[in-house]
This record gives sequence, structure tokens and C-alpha cells, in this order.
Amino acid sequence: HVIHHSNRLPLRITELCLEVKSAFAQLLREEPENIKCFAERMRDLTCFWEEGESRNSSLHQYTFTYTYQYRNENSSACEVFEMPMLAARGRRLFYSRLPRIEFFAQLHLCVFRGGRELYNRSLFIDQVFLLDPPANVTVVKTGQRGQLNVTWLPPALKYMDDSMMYEVRYAMEGNPMRKETVKATTKLTLRGLQPSSKYKVFVRVKPDGITYNGYWSAWSDPAFGTTPPSDLDPVIVVLILVIILIFFLLILFVLVSLLKKLWPDIPSPEHKFPGLFSVYKGDFQEWLGHSNSSTRPIHAFTEELPSPLEVLSETSLDSDTTEQGEEPLQSRDMDAGLLDRWKEPPHTHWLMEQLRALQKHPQALSQSSLLESQDTYVTLNQNSQHAKEGRQEDDILEESLPLQALFASGDTSLSAASHSDLGSLQQSSGSGRLSSQSSFEYPNHTWPPKGPGYTYMAVADSGVSMDYSPMSSSMGKGVVYANEYILGHRRPLSGQQVHS
Amino acid sequence: MGNRRGHGRGDEDPVRDYADSEMEIPRLFALLLIVLEWTRPGLPSPLRPICDLRVLDHFIKEARDAEATMRVCKEDCSIGVPLMVPLTRVDIGVWEKKNMAEQAQEVQTGLWLLNRAFISLHTSISNSALHSHIDASVRNIASIGQVLRSLSIQDYVPTVSGIDLQETWQVSSAPELFQVHINFLRGKVRLLLANAPVCKQEVS
Repeated sequence: HVIHHSNRLPLRITELCLEVKSAFAQLLREEPENIKCFAERMRDLTCFWEEGESRNSSLHQYTFTYTYQYRNENSSACEVFEMPMLAARGRRLFYSRLPRIEFFAQLHLCVFRGGRELYNRSLFIDQVFLLDPPANVTVVKTGQRGQLNVTWLPPALKYMDDSMMYEVRYAMEGNPMRKETVKATTKLTLRGLQPSSKYKVFVRVKPDGITYNGYWSAWSDPAFGTTPPSDLDPVIVVLILVIILIFFLLILFVLVSLLKKLWPDIPSPEHKFPGLFSVYKGDFQEWLGHSNSSTRPIHAFTEELPSPLEVLSETSLDSDTTEQGEEPLQSRDMDAGLLDRWKEPPHTHWLMEQLRALQKHPQALSQSSLLESQDTYVTLNQNSQHAKEGRQEDDILEESLPLQALFASGDTSLSAASHSDLGSLQQSSGSGRLSSQSSFEYPNHTWPPKGPGYTYMAVADSGVSMDYSPMSSSMGKGVVYANEYILGHRRPLSGQQVHS
Repeated sequence: MGNRRGHGRGDEDPVRDYADSEMEIPRLFALLLIVLEWTRPGLPSPLRPICDLRVLDHFIKEARDAEATMRVCKEDCSIGVPLMVPLTRVDIGVWEKKNMAEQAQEVQTGLWLLNRAFISLHTSISNSALHSHIDASVRNIASIGQVLRSLSIQDYVPTVSGIDLQETWQVSSAPELFQVHINFLRGKVRLLLANAPVCKQEVS
């Protein structure tokens, strides 16, 4: 509402006190000029000044004149009033109000006291606005956590509504204030707030300075709003569950691997000997007898697996036994010798059974240690032809006792054996002298040093033929026969004669 | 041109293929349209109305920068012959009583006067630094004219006798001229643009 008055009518004191008092106080702080002026709306301009001298100067001594620059005419005077009870410490405050104002033109103001100029000032009225604070400040929740929406009404000035700048001040109880400035819009979303907290919000307004300018208005009345409580984002919940699941699986995995280390599986041969432990209660002999229908008792190996055989051959040399010519002769002789010899343990058939069994379960053998000292070895010593004459049965018997035991359960004659895989012995280079040690050795084991005079050959208990170069013999000149010993394929072996 | 080759007209003159009678008329028509577009008479195509006052704010800032630099100029900047400039003062009550046409006329008269004043200032001042500011102000006024045209405000060139001398005054220094320029933009021009009926139609 506009106050229409002429220069002579005094303004009502109550109105002045309510509206203007705070404005005066603010400008007293902010405006450095002597004549302080402000325009509250687009209809009037209020100017005031302080007088510090404690003279008992009367109000009528003062003259307030104004003139617009473009008019080349004398200035006009305006009535001066005194504002009581506002100035402190003996200072007096006088004000005047211009009735009709013109914007965008320069205005000259002068204050005279007793005819002498006291203050003067030139200003543009559109640059000294002091607006009312925004009204209807409301704070509402948005849908999201930590946010609040603040809205307010702009000052009701017709031509200035798009030239406004607002400042929003907000804080939680007892916390420092945070400020945000917005232009040309009457709403603001506060972000980054704490959940479930009560916030106090103030707003003030000022012209933005491009077309119009002025002072910051007073802070509006506070508005309160409470942020919504924080709830867990469902995506975060799902992710946390997934992480927990992965964590548990990891722990499980670690535990299982630890358990495997602490309580390793002890391999049990039970599955290779069906019924041995369940029916016969570990009585190997009985189990053997039951499964093979043999009657000969086994003395030394009732509780042991048949050990792998190592076929060793030894070379003993006379002279230039150059190859082919004598070999058949020798082999024939050896055949005879072997045949004779092999009559002793006629139970090679049993041995073959064992060997076949071993072949079927090669992993059983791989787990056992093959080259322990108690392994038995078959060594074929190649003697000269004289060997066949002397029946070194005693030697043979002593040394080959274990082997005899192996062959003990066999029924068939040696001739049968000669046609079986063991027929390689027939063609072997050795004279057939059996040593006390026999073992089958697997190729991936290192050779134990056996002592001079023996050349080693590994015979693989696999379905594949393996050809081994003989180890160096300390015998010097010797004929070493390398055998190809094949189990299971019944291939005839070829012997090679190697001169060392 | 290749669209005729498939036809069985091999024995005809190949040049004749291009100027086929079926295509000749559309070609002539296209040529005619091009020629007419170039020689289109007078009226510029209607501009999209510039209702956003931030455009004017940009010009106001430019003018304010020029005025700020000119404010410090004291000696070099006085001119011999006073220049006629429009009044910048706005009495809100009086302004509101005028209708749109009057307001537009007042604004355009003022812009015309300012333009003339700047041009004569350009000739009378020798300082080259000032010349750049003067040129910027002239461009500024021309842009404002474009904005007015976009709001369907008809161009108005006042006659010398038709100018209401009540609405003019005289300045005798360059800083004053620049001050008049900025105040004119902030006052009357802005009030006119803010109330342009074209923009109000769009909003409502």
C-alpha cells in the first residue's frame, strides 16, 4: 500500500517506528555516506543523517534539498523530521522523504544547517533499494534423504521480480550457519544434510546489481524443517549381502584346505583287494588262496604286495664276442640253461598273474616306494657258456629265494612261461643267473648305485615298451645286452648287443 | 543424369539425354526458386522474439563497463558542441499511463538520438582508445534495435521536427554521454521489453 502524503503532513510516528527503525539501524551500520538513503518500494525515497554535535539545534535549522541532474532548474526542498530515540550517545537523527521519485536519473541531495551546506550526495534511486524480507518461507521434505526444499515469495515489486538475488542461511541446532545464494528463482534444494535433523532456515533478498542495486534486506522469519530418516538404499543392502556371501565362501574354502593338510587321506589298498579286509579279515594267504586256487603257501610274502621286479643284466666278458654269430649260440645255450634253471621255480604262471594284476593297477605300485632296500631284484648274470654246465643252483637258490617264493604258486611249467612275457628272459643276454634281488623299477626313479659289475636296466611295467640305454659299467669291456621288455603286449623282444 | 541411360535410346544424341522433357520443368522451377530467394524483396524473415531479459542484461553490462572506463576521463573527453540526448528518467506512474506504442516510440527516438550522438562524438574525439568504446556503444545500440524488431516493434525513425524536446537534454562531455546510454538501457528500454505483448503471450 502506498502512503500518499504531501511534504507538509507529518508521517505517523508508529508507522515510522515499525518499518523504518530497523532500516535506519542497518544503514547506520552499512552506509558510509553522510546522507543515507534507501528506497523501500518504487514509490518513495527516504534519506536521513546523523548530527553529532550536542548543540541544542532545532529541527528547523535544517534544510534538505534535492534536484535531478537533467533539470537545469533550482532544487526543491523537502521537510525534515527527527527520529526520536534512535541515535545513541547524544546523536540526533533527522530524515526526510521524497514524494515523487524518478528512476534512472541522477539525483543531487543537500543538507543545509542554518544556511550552510552540511552534507551532499549524488545518487541513483534505482541503486539504493532496501527491500522487505521474503515472506512465506516454507521448508518441506523432498523424496530423498539429506535434502530439503525451501520456497519463498519474492518481493511484490512489479518491474523488479526478475532482478532479484536471494541468500539462504540454514543450520542445525548449535551448528555453524551455511549460506547459499540463488538468482532469479524463489526455491532452493538444500543438499548434503544430516538425516533426522531439524534445520532452521532464513532467507534475504537484494537486487542483483545489473539493472537495480541496493542493500541486503533483513533476514526473514525462521522456518523449520526436519530431514527424513536415513534408510538403506536397497542396492547397498544387496551388495553387502553379496560381499558377505563371498566372504563366507572364502572362509569355507580356507578351512577345507586346512583340514586337508591336517588330516590327509591315508591311501588304503582296500579297493585293490576286494574282500581282503572285509571277508578274510586281513588274512592274505586265505584271500590269495581263495582268489587264485593255489595251494602252495607263501612264506615270506603273505602280507606284502608283490614288489616290482627289476631285471638287471650283468655283462661278463671274455673277448670279442662280436655279435651276431655267437649270440644265437649263446642264446641257445642260455635258452637251455634258462630252461633248466627255470624248472626250479615252476610257478611262473602265478607270477604272471601277479604281474598282470600289477599292470592293471599301476597306481598301486606308484605309490609304494620301489627302491627300498628290502626290494627284491632279479638280476640276470651273464656268465659264459660254462655257466650252463655248473648248476649253480645253490647260488641261485640262495639269492633267488624270494623269487622262488614268487614263483612258488605257479603251476605251469617253465615252458609255458617262456611263451609268456617272461620269455624275454629267454632271449636276454644274461645267462639266467638269478640274483637275490629282483624288482621292477619304474623309469622315473633314480637308480641306486648297485655296485660294480652290474648294469641296470629299467623295465617299465606299463603297456609301452621302454628302451633304456644301459648305465655305464665299471666292468670295462663287457657285452651289455639291452632288452626291451614289454609286459602285456606279448611282443617278442629284440635284444641288442652293445659293446661297452 | 544416369537415370536415363538404361533406356533404349542409344541412337539419340547423348547430350539430349540430360535435357529430357520430363525433367526440364522441375529444373527450371528450382532455378526460379533460387533466383527469387536471392532477390527476395525487403521484408526480413520474422525473428524469433527475444523475450529473455538476460540478453538485454548482457548489453547493459557491456555499456556499464564502457561507462566505468570513461568515468575517469576528464580532460580529453569534453566536446565542443553539446549533444542532444534523450531523458533517461522514468516516473513509474507516468510511464504506466502511456500505451505500448508511445513507449516504443519514446524508446526508439531515444536510441536514434544516442546513435547520432555517438557518431558525432566519434568525429570530434581524437583519442583512439575512446574510439573503441564508442564503436562498442554503437554496436550495442544496433543490437538493441534488433531485439526490438524481434518483438514485432516497428522501426521508427523520428523526424527532426517530430522530436519532443521535452524529452531531451544536452550533454557536453563524453562520460556524460556514456552515462546517459547506460541509464537509458536500464530504464526505458528494459521497461519496454519487460512488458512486450509478444512475450506475455508466450508466457500465458
